Amino acid sequence: MPSRAEDIMKGFSLNWMNLRDADNGKVLWQSTDDLATPEAEHEARVPKKILKCRAVSRELNFSSKESMEKFRLEQKVLFKGKCLEDWYFEFGFVIPGSTNTWQSVIEAAPESQMMPASVLNGNVLIETRFFDGDLLVSTSKVRIFYV
Amino acid sequence: MGLLSLLRRIRGTQAKELRILLLGLDNAGKTTLLKSLASEDISHITPTQGFNIKTVQSAGFHLNVWDIGGQRKIRPYWKNYFENTDILIYVIDSADRKRLEETGEELTELLEEEKLSGVPVMVFANKQDLVTAAPACDIAEGLNLHQIRDREWHIQACSAQTGEGVKHGIDWLIKACSKKK
Repeated sequence: MPSRAEDIMKGFSLNWMNLRDADNGKVLWQSTDDLATPEAEHEARVPKKILKCRAVSRELNFSSKESMEKFRLEQKVLFKGKCLEDWYFEFGFVIPGSTNTWQSVIEAAPESQMMPASVLNGNVLIETRFFDGDLLVSTSKVRIFYV
Repeated sequence: MGLLSLLRRIRGTQAKELRILLLGLDNAGKTTLLKSLASEDISHITPTQGFNIKTVQSAGFHLNVWDIGGQRKIRPYWKNYFENTDILIYVIDSADRKRLEETGEELTELLEEEKLSGVPVMVFANKQDLVTAAPACDIAEGLNLHQIRDREWHIQACSAQTGEGVKHGIDWLIKACSKKK
């Protein structure tokens, strides 16, 4: 018989992610391939102009067949493996059979402190880990290319 | 307007974190309201089968808005999201006169919840752009809002579709948070 942990992990899927200019809500990048494949590293080709945005939003959509009591995520933005930014968010309860979105909005660093696209290109990785309590439910890695 | 500018205005208050809970029957316009606040496209919104959360962070201050689906089968789960709520926004489809009683019953139940006691409530009488919409004063009467004594409340006519009235509601909300702390 599969364990509760296996049921939760099997019933979890990451459906899509996007990046928006948070000032006007316009989508600058939206995932196309199947993000749900865990462990695989996905690639996002994002227009360079995103670096000029005063604020950017990152949004992700996931489904869970099982209910979860202590759902949370940790999202890290890594530059060459070094953590530039991290988010912790605690959802708590997740409704069985639900589809949910989480969107975080963050202000950009002042332009003077912003690294140019050529330096960032291919070196930025958004890593999101999903947990129910201490159980690692899923991991998503998206590498950003500025085009 | 954008959520960051909203956050900047709230930041004037002493709170470090603010949790807003958005509830109402299905098809009331909760997700549309939330997306229009963030200036996002509202032309392809589908029924929420769980929650939508927007979290905004600026200078150490966090604003979290929780929009929970309003379908009958989801409503029993609302109670899982009550804890630590600072403001309750209750959205009503003003043109859905057949369900005015049902939405009133749900609101009454919410106001009786211990975990939401004293939490200011903002009622958006949404969809005022529709000709069949009931005016906010009629809704206030139908819902017996004037009987509320244990918290601050406000009703605001609005259209999440056109944006009309939304800003007035937000202004009230910001005032209510600054008073609360």
